[in-house]
Amino acid sequence: MSIFLGYVATILVTLFTYNIFTLGLNIQFGYAGILNFTVITFMAMGAYFYAVFVMPPANASNQVFYILGLHWPWPLASIAGIVASGILGYLIGLIALKRLRSDYLAIVTLATGTLLYGLSGDQNKLFDGWAGLFSVNQPFQSVANNHPNTFSWIFVVISGVVMLIVWWFANQLYSSPLGRSMRAIREDQDVVDAFGKNTFKVRMMAMVIGSTIVGIGGVLTIQYIGALSPAGWTTGETFVVWAALLVGGRGNNIGAMLGSLLVAVIFNEGTRYIPQVASSPNLVPDLRNIIIGSLVILSIWFRPQGVLPERKAKFFELPLKDKYAQTFGGVSANQELATEV
Amino acid sequence: MSNILAISDVHVAFGGLKAIDGCTFEVEKGTITALIGPNGAGKSTMVGSIAGAVSLTSGSITFDGQEISHLPTYRRAQGGLIRTYQISREFGGMTVLENLLVVRLGQSGESLINAVFRPKKSKTETNALVGEANEILNTFGLYRLRNEYASNLSGGQKRLLELSRAVMAKPKMLLLDEPMAGVTPALIEILGQHLLDLNKGSGMSMLLVEHNLEVVDKICSRVVVMATGKRLAEGTLAELRSNRDVVEAYLGGEVHERIGS
Repeated sequence: MSIFLGYVATILVTLFTYNIFTLGLNIQFGYAGILNFTVITFMAMGAYFYAVFVMPPANASNQVFYILGLHWPWPLASIAGIVASGILGYLIGLIALKRLRSDYLAIVTLATGTLLYGLSGDQNKLFDGWAGLFSVNQPFQSVANNHPNTFSWIFVVISGVVMLIVWWFANQLYSSPLGRSMRAIREDQDVVDAFGKNTFKVRMMAMVIGSTIVGIGGVLTIQYIGALSPAGWTTGETFVVWAALLVGGRGNNIGAMLGSLLVAVIFNEGTRYIPQVASSPNLVPDLRNIIIGSLVILSIWFRPQGVLPERKAKFFELPLKDKYAQTFGGVSANQELATEV
Repeated sequence: MSNILAISDVHVAFGGLKAIDGCTFEVEKGTITALIGPNGAGKSTMVGSIAGAVSLTSGSITFDGQEISHLPTYRRAQGGLIRTYQISREFGGMTVLENLLVVRLGQSGESLINAVFRPKKSKTETNALVGEANEILNTFGLYRLRNEYASNLSGGQKRLLELSRAVMAKPKMLLLDEPMAGVTPALIEILGQHLLDLNKGSGMSMLLVEHNLEVVDKICSRVVVMATGKRLAEGTLAELRSNRDVVEAYLGGEVHERIGS
């Protein structure tokens, strides 16, 4: 029973952190149309920076190396990790958003992500190279050590609350004039520019907000697991977040969360129950990718707007001042018709 | 009368091609000025370079007393210079009403803090803007389509949306790049009337690129003729019909036929 409870808790934490990732990507892509093809890098940077802020200085005798090692308390280290991913978003935005859009922008993000991946793997003085960081200090460390299930459920609550805050934030943003500007940029950036909005600034805001949110998910991930290595944030992970958003419905926050339930939890976790084949250990992960890939193709083919499409904006409206105009449509029709009637 | 827009010796080259080759003209405040000329004369490039989409090779553009040729596009629009496009460019995935709401500048909810933490203030503002936008949509006959996605509108309706969106931005001056392109004669009549009403009602200045000379004759007080990237002539359409250069370059037989010289 306790194993089962622990498993359910892990599934829930996975769901909540993926919800946070897809909400972050939704602000970038679903709102502002920014093709960020390295979502998972922001998760990793949030996680790594949390780790190097919270951990004590690296102990060279263990052959473990990493930068900083400031041994900050976990709440402060969490903020440091989140801020770090936001800053990374800003830096990538500086390179990518000034002149580039659509597929060119996508390539730059993908390339930057790949560079950072290679850098943190090959340069073992940064985040301990390919071995990655482990034994990362967790919140409520003693609970985590002695009562792992209790810790898991505490974490379900923490990640759930954080997810709800992010969701609330994303909704506030969506329905605001700023969110409207972002969506207009998604539709036609030049026109928004020609109407006097600094589109670079608005896109940069979407980029930084999205990256920060993904970083929050990253901090939660490493706090829960206590370890992260480059194998945990390959390009394939970015694809899972994208698949979740596309299947669920871009531009719709509930859709984004439904997508991460479908893709990241049901398909990603569900396929773990396919029996292993001893002679080909890669079969199951490969099958998982094939299934998620097919899901994306089918969804783009048959329901391009996603399971829950973007909702139509509705506003509080007062009746028009001129009642006749309402009845007769255009003003020219009105002027002639109204007098005749 | 003072000028709202002054184009002075503007050159624009795309590689070896000189799209605009030393063009100079002015638009008087509160007038509707037409910019006509044969295909390839550089009219659309001129609209693009005034609005900021095309950068000048040399020359200067003064709008409302300020030199703007070095300003980025959005800064020119902030100064009250708004353009429309030759091919409608609506925000397809947003409703007609949203298309209008988004273009009004200076909304408090455009800052992140206000957007997230002061939604009430921003909602009150938005409600007022909705009322304003609905009145404009009503004037342009789009009121009943206000909650339709802009991508679902017909070609003619998109032209109307293009114009109503520009009006919502409260410009000092409108740059209209062939607003009547692909529009039925009945709608041309309506659009032309709207432009006149705007001009008379709020004194909005306009520069209108147009091929339809009947429209030009009806609503434009002055006409600038461009050919091969230069200003060829300027005056009222009546004056221009007797101008030999203009007749040869552009009007040709049409001027005799249409305006009946």
